[in-house]
Amino acid sequence: MNQTLEGTELREQTVLDQPWITLVWNDPVNLMSYVSYVFRSYFGFTRDEADRLMLQVHNDGRAVVATGSREEMERHVEAMHDFGLWATLQKADA
Amino acid sequence: MIPFTRTATGSYAAGFTHVETEIIADLAAQIAGMLSPLVGSDDPLFAAVGIGGTSLLNDDPAIARLLPDAYGDDAAASGDFRRLTEQSLATRKVANARAVIDSLERTGESLELSEQEAQSWLRTLSDIRLTIAARLGIESDGDEGATGSDSALALHDLYDWLAYVTESLLDALDD
Repeated sequence: MNQTLEGTELREQTVLDQPWITLVWNDPVNLMSYVSYVFRSYFGFTRDEADRLMLQVHNDGRAVVATGSREEMERHVEAMHDFGLWATLQKADA
Repeated sequence: MIPFTRTATGSYAAGFTHVETEIIADLAAQIAGMLSPLVGSDDPLFAAVGIGGTSLLNDDPAIARLLPDAYGDDAAASGDFRRLTEQSLATRKVANARAVIDSLERTGESLELSEQEAQSWLRTLSDIRLTIAARLGIESDGDEGATGSDSALALHDLYDWLAYVTESLLDALDD
């Protein structure tokens, strides 16, 4: 019983911890190669994944680059602002 | 400019003319000067933890682009986050710009950057180009921006050349 309860708590915790996303928005200034480099060097994406997300930013105007807790997403947004990328966070269902 | 290459010791080397080094140092100094008023606080406790920034997006479009809102859909949360983080973000940007100036003063026309300096260069080059774009009114893809004066055309040339410098450094970093 105890184990089951713990398991339930863990799942709820995970659900509560995951409702935020980091969005990177298209801008006319930063180079496509730079955006892809930032995605690889900061988030650790493979070149293919970084290029896919970079093209999504370029073509669709934005892409979700991370999902997780609000605090984590705030750290990512601040790091993106360090690089000069235009990033915001919001609730995943917003 | 002679493009960046990765050296045997893991540094990044490039060649610039004297005028080019002066231009980059001057632009970096302008970024540092523009953001310096947003750095630090009179209150030593707030200064120590980086708290005490403003709560509103700056009126200057260049500063607003370098220190944007963190929440796209929540002005109150953006204000709270800005108060907590704006000063430290501005401080890091000023430190990057100063690292660019220092590296140019140290190595001059035969530029040689450590990995950390290369990271400062990338971020400052982006900050400089974002600032020039804001001054020229380049706001979305395909915008040409202001072209009505010689100084605007000179800024365009600079903007494109800095893109070339950035590409060159990225190529060396990926090497």
